[in-house]
Amino acid sequence: MSKIHVAGLKKSFGSNEVLKGLDVEIAEGEVVCVIGPSGSGKSTFLRCLNKLEDITAGKVVVDGFDLTDPKVNLDQVRQHIGMVFQHFNLFPHMTVLENIMLAPVELKKLSRPQARNKALELLERVGLANKADARPAQLSGGQKQRVAIARSLAMNPDIMLFDEATSALDPEMVGEVLQVIRDLAAEGMTMVVVTHEMGFAREVSDRVIFMADGFIVEEGKPEHVFGSPQQARTRDFLAKVL
Amino acid sequence: MHTLQRAGRRLLALTGLLAVLSLVFGPAAGAAVQTPHSASGKSYVIGTDTTFAPFEFRQGGELVGIDMDLLRAIAENQGFEVEIRSLGFDAALQALQSDQVDGVIAGMSITDERRQVFDFSDPYFDSGVQMAVAENNTEISSYEDLEGETVAVKRGSEGEAFADSIADEYGFTVKPLDQSATMYDDVKAGNSVAVFDDYPVLAYGIAQNNGLKAVTDKERGSSYGFAVNKDQNPELIQAFNAGLAELKASGEYQQILDKYLAAPETAGQTSFWELLTDSLPALMKGLGLTLFATALSIIIALILGVAFGFLKVSRRIVLRGIATTYVGIFRGTPLLVQAFFFYFGLPQLTGQPIDVLTAGVLTLSLNAGAYMTEIVRGGIQSVDPGQMEASRSLGLSYFKSMRKVVIPQAVKIMTPSFINQFVITLKDSSLLAVIGFAELTYQGQQIYASNFRTGETLLIVAALYFVVITLLIKLSNMLDKRFNK
Repeated sequence: MSKIHVAGLKKSFGSNEVLKGLDVEIAEGEVVCVIGPSGSGKSTFLRCLNKLEDITAGKVVVDGFDLTDPKVNLDQVRQHIGMVFQHFNLFPHMTVLENIMLAPVELKKLSRPQARNKALELLERVGLANKADARPAQLSGGQKQRVAIARSLAMNPDIMLFDEATSALDPEMVGEVLQVIRDLAAEGMTMVVVTHEMGFAREVSDRVIFMADGFIVEEGKPEHVFGSPQQARTRDFLAKVL
Repeated sequence: MHTLQRAGRRLLALTGLLAVLSLVFGPAAGAAVQTPHSASGKSYVIGTDTTFAPFEFRQGGELVGIDMDLLRAIAENQGFEVEIRSLGFDAALQALQSDQVDGVIAGMSITDERRQVFDFSDPYFDSGVQMAVAENNTEISSYEDLEGETVAVKRGSEGEAFADSIADEYGFTVKPLDQSATMYDDVKAGNSVAVFDDYPVLAYGIAQNNGLKAVTDKERGSSYGFAVNKDQNPELIQAFNAGLAELKASGEYQQILDKYLAAPETAGQTSFWELLTDSLPALMKGLGLTLFATALSIIIALILGVAFGFLKVSRRIVLRGIATTYVGIFRGTPLLVQAFFFYFGLPQLTGQPIDVLTAGVLTLSLNAGAYMTEIVRGGIQSVDPGQMEASRSLGLSYFKSMRKVVIPQAVKIMTPSFINQFVITLKDSSLLAVIGFAELTYQGQQIYASNFRTGETLLIVAALYFVVITLLIKLSNMLDKRFNK
């Protein structure tokens, strides 16, 4: 059974239809990169996967939970879906450690000491063990994003969503963040990655989805989409960015 | 005077005080009603106005004035005891009718209307309207000189009625103002050339060096009398009349009048420092009430602000509508109108009297609450929406996200606005003087209503506000720095 099942997904903001009917299946352990020009609906699509956006029409089933069912407990579902944002969205009034501990402690997944150990472990993993007591404001962009990843991993998600996680970073910091995502991919995490890093998408993904104007124009293995794109729209886009 | 003018003075009535007093002293006063024949050796409770210089007002905390001195002298002369209750004019009459006091002396005109319900003593004072001009004015000495000029009168007073009646004949314009002190300042400032005011009030003002001089004889006016309930305490009226006659005969009556009404000796005013030390006790009491009402109002406003602020950011249109209506009403109407409504309007609609502190705090807190609502809404909305999204994406509920993530950041953003609103509410509390709430500004008004040193008194009042507000801002900023690093 697929981990994520999307059928006929439509999303409008007022009269502006941003997603015009998407059908996507993502299997467990699959790494899917979503590329496309800005305004194509990539981020909106991603945000529909944990229902940060209300779904106008269609079906989104994640982990067997139908997100369009009003009775489904979204808070419960979201605990299993980690999300990393372009602008990090760390909580500025907490230390790095508190940022990571918040969800496990508040949702009673772990006791305080357990959550603390887990947070330190995660910081170790993203290479920031020495920043545990720092405030977000004291970190560089790359460090912030690595903390944000650690934060979303603290709930042991089985799906990770990355929303242009490196777009707001200075070029020299992109690499350190991509490395963390790369490691996660290697561990078999199911991931949907919206990105502008074409080289990274090509290298890390099992499948690439190219979106434009609210539609999925083309999808397939990275070597196919990047190597021999079938659609003129895709060729056009890749010619501009590569 | 007084039938009309007292309507304005109704503002000063402290009905709350009355309610309390009636509970405490009702039975004792009632007992005195039973006593027949002679007043001698008895004790009576007498109601009076709060401030109506020169008949009753406070000087250094003591209740003095023509009424007070006269009543005490008569009591001594006739061998009975009096206990005086400073209730406010209307409240004193109400207390008399409900037997909570035995008599009322409050510069009250003897009218046919009042004779229906009260028995009056012989008149103890003849009032009348008189004209006064600025001390250094040599051009105006009669009504004929008023051609084309403006004169100040007290709204609703006999002075106004008289001025209106001759305005066309002499060709001047009448400008009604609310208080005697304001009228005198208007003349001194040159906005009006003359005032028409009640002779005793005017004479007392001149005796206090208010900067005016009387230039005409008084017109015939009404007479003041001491009142008891109809057919009750006849012995008290008899004693009052007898005592009054003896005091008049002995010259003591004239001494009392001269004490308040005679032209000033050259010695004149006390120094600013004496004014300061004399007025400070009353002003500090007012300041205490100002701070108490402000603190209470701000706490309630904070609760209202948080509650309605959350409704305002709700996704439910009905909840947003409730909050928007509340804010609309209280931001869209003047505070002064709200104060009048809660103190005068609401009791008429509900039939339930409301004391002045309750009405004042209700006004301030509902008004500040509306602004607080907007501060809370603004604070919450100014937190990056990404914060809420990040928290929700971790699986935290809306309320948990609010509590743990959004509100701590919003509070930090809101704190300066909270401090600002606190200061605004503190200053707004001065508007409650109009409903007779005895806060700082009201106390100041009471003081210059009897000494006519408006400028200096207001300077002291302003300085007190300034010092307190400056200290509060300093303290708030210190707390802000400490807790919102």
